[in-house]
Amino acid sequence: MIPEKLRALGLAVTLGLSLILTACTIPIPSTEDIPSATGAAPRSELRDVPGIVDPDNTGWPRTVEGLNGTTDIEALPERIITASVGHDEMTVALVPLERLVAVGASSKDPTYSNVAGLLAEKPEISRDPETIIAQDPDIIVTSPYFPAEGVEALERVAIPVVQTALAHDAEARLNNILLLGYIFGEEERAVEFAAEVQQRHDKLVTVTGAKDVRPSVLALSRYSDQIWVAGDGSTEGSIIEAAGGVNAAATAGIAGHQTISLEGVIVMAPELIMITQPLAYGAEEFRQDLLNAAALAEVPAINRDRVHIVDSKLFTTLSYWNIRGAEELARILWPDDFPNPPAEGFSQAH
Amino acid sequence: MDGQHTLRSFRRLSVGTRLAVGLPVLSVLVLATGLVSLRLGPVPINTLEVVWAALSTVGLDGPSIDRTAQLVIEQIRLPRIIVGAAVGMALGLSGTAMQGLFRNPMADPGIIGVSAGGAVGAVTAIAIGLVDLFWLALPAFAFIGAALALLLVYGIAAVGGRISMATLLLAGVAVNAFLGAVISAIIYLIPSEGPLREILYWLAGGLDSRSWDHVRIALPPIAVGAATLALTARDLNLLALGDDEARSLGVRTGATRTALLAASALVTGSAVAVSGSIAFVGLVTPHVLRLVLGPDHRVLMPMSALGGALFVMLADMAARTVIQPAEFRVGVLTAFVGAPFFVFLLIKNKRQVYTL
Repeated sequence: MIPEKLRALGLAVTLGLSLILTACTIPIPSTEDIPSATGAAPRSELRDVPGIVDPDNTGWPRTVEGLNGTTDIEALPERIITASVGHDEMTVALVPLERLVAVGASSKDPTYSNVAGLLAEKPEISRDPETIIAQDPDIIVTSPYFPAEGVEALERVAIPVVQTALAHDAEARLNNILLLGYIFGEEERAVEFAAEVQQRHDKLVTVTGAKDVRPSVLALSRYSDQIWVAGDGSTEGSIIEAAGGVNAAATAGIAGHQTISLEGVIVMAPELIMITQPLAYGAEEFRQDLLNAAALAEVPAINRDRVHIVDSKLFTTLSYWNIRGAEELARILWPDDFPNPPAEGFSQAH
Repeated sequence: MDGQHTLRSFRRLSVGTRLAVGLPVLSVLVLATGLVSLRLGPVPINTLEVVWAALSTVGLDGPSIDRTAQLVIEQIRLPRIIVGAAVGMALGLSGTAMQGLFRNPMADPGIIGVSAGGAVGAVTAIAIGLVDLFWLALPAFAFIGAALALLLVYGIAAVGGRISMATLLLAGVAVNAFLGAVISAIIYLIPSEGPLREILYWLAGGLDSRSWDHVRIALPPIAVGAATLALTARDLNLLALGDDEARSLGVRTGATRTALLAASALVTGSAVAVSGSIAFVGLVTPHVLRLVLGPDHRVLMPMSALGGALFVMLADMAARTVIQPAEFRVGVLTAFVGAPFFVFLLIKNKRQVYTL
């Protein structure tokens, strides 16, 4: 019973975290804009990207190595399915929208996806491999959360599947973009886009990295009376660091996402609390409960009224949109350094 | 060998003697566990502060202590410990009643579908978003679900007029399976991650963030149900002799069974409403105590209440402290500890375990 539930959760999270686009952020590139990657000159930027077996091979077929082993891609994929929110977010930045043929429900849900607006009309896939096969994809890219038996089922019908990890730290995030670009035959666009993401990240950390005194920040959410905290190795933690804060939970020795009691909040004594759950799932109620908890009165973030609800999807997705989250948090932490709102979205493919 | 002999000798003592020995021992253990549990947690609080804060909470003045320590004891630890004790008490009592009523050592509080019904109620409240509107929705729906499940099981068993325990048991199995399917269907169909997370964590059972409101919700029905179960302990003994024998000794068998079922459902539903599904407490506690104290329900009932409370309090203390400042799920811990311990008991005491 429990494994089934956990599997269901994993799948739902995967599909959920993969399908959204805030319509105004990533413009849709046109088909004519697609550069032909076949036979293009090798790019040095691809050399050390994990997963690219032969970076000098920019023709077809080409081989990539994912978590599910090596996969040969015979030709430029025209019908792509990337079954996670993070992958979908990257894919729509790399290829024309029409090449992404279907997405999971979460990628279409603006609560979880930063590209939901762009994907609203896309056919929907589920955890059932048949729904994916029915879309006749040339290639499927999945996250580690996609079930192994699902990957096997797709491979049995001779559809190339690449299962790749999604990372939250800056370098790995760039590698994710470059690998996806290589898989899709969009190396030039991937290199260009990775540079843009890198530049935006560097611009932020040039300011935040120079801070001598960094406030401690705690990323909290509450589900069914359980308070969850994001510790070391979490996406939220990497965002806090990039924004110039110190992750209070990581300092307290918490790794990944763990539950804590209100006592844990007292012990960690954060100077700022950010609530990363969606507004629709009780973020404001949680904020009020924290502010009204008498036992928390001495916690700096509480007595200075520094409990902020942040845009959940910027802090929980696994893609370059995390940088936007870091920019938002940096504005909260360092308002004098970042007086203006950050750019809404990222560039489009050309 | 000596241990077995001592146990047998103890079980032959009179009910009064066994209670006179057992009740103080378990009561002291429960109180001591409560005090230790109050002392432990992420916020360091010394023993004296714990004592003064606890006294202050019940209206007795002592030296003033650090305000944060006072609030942590008063608002966080104490209500949680009390809810844990109440839940353990409810599950221990209900497990004892179900095992006695069904004359089945595998019976537990969930056997008549109450736990699954409570789970369906809670999962429904989460899935349709009611818990985001008002917090009471979750325990209320869990309780209503538990009550409806009992009515359903009882209604199925009552078809044709006469209720047999075998039919009741089978109806419970069927309803449990059906309600399990309902939960799976809700989990499968729910489109969003947030409610799905809430459901999964709730199903794992826990005492996170329990407050005085939860104490107020759980304690009155558990107290009423516990009193009813305690009053039926003698009749439960007689029911074990068979219906005819019990009737000849003055037991109104039908009414007694109904009272036992209703009281068990009341305490279990109340426990599930404030803690989710905490596994193995209702199954293991009566078993362990029966091995030590014998099968007399006049002894078993009060001792199972205390034993269940002790089990959950210890599990919660471990859940709060082993990986602090992070926490573990109580329901997971009770299953981790309860399942192997139960298997150990089965192997070690094959004969006694089946003596009800």
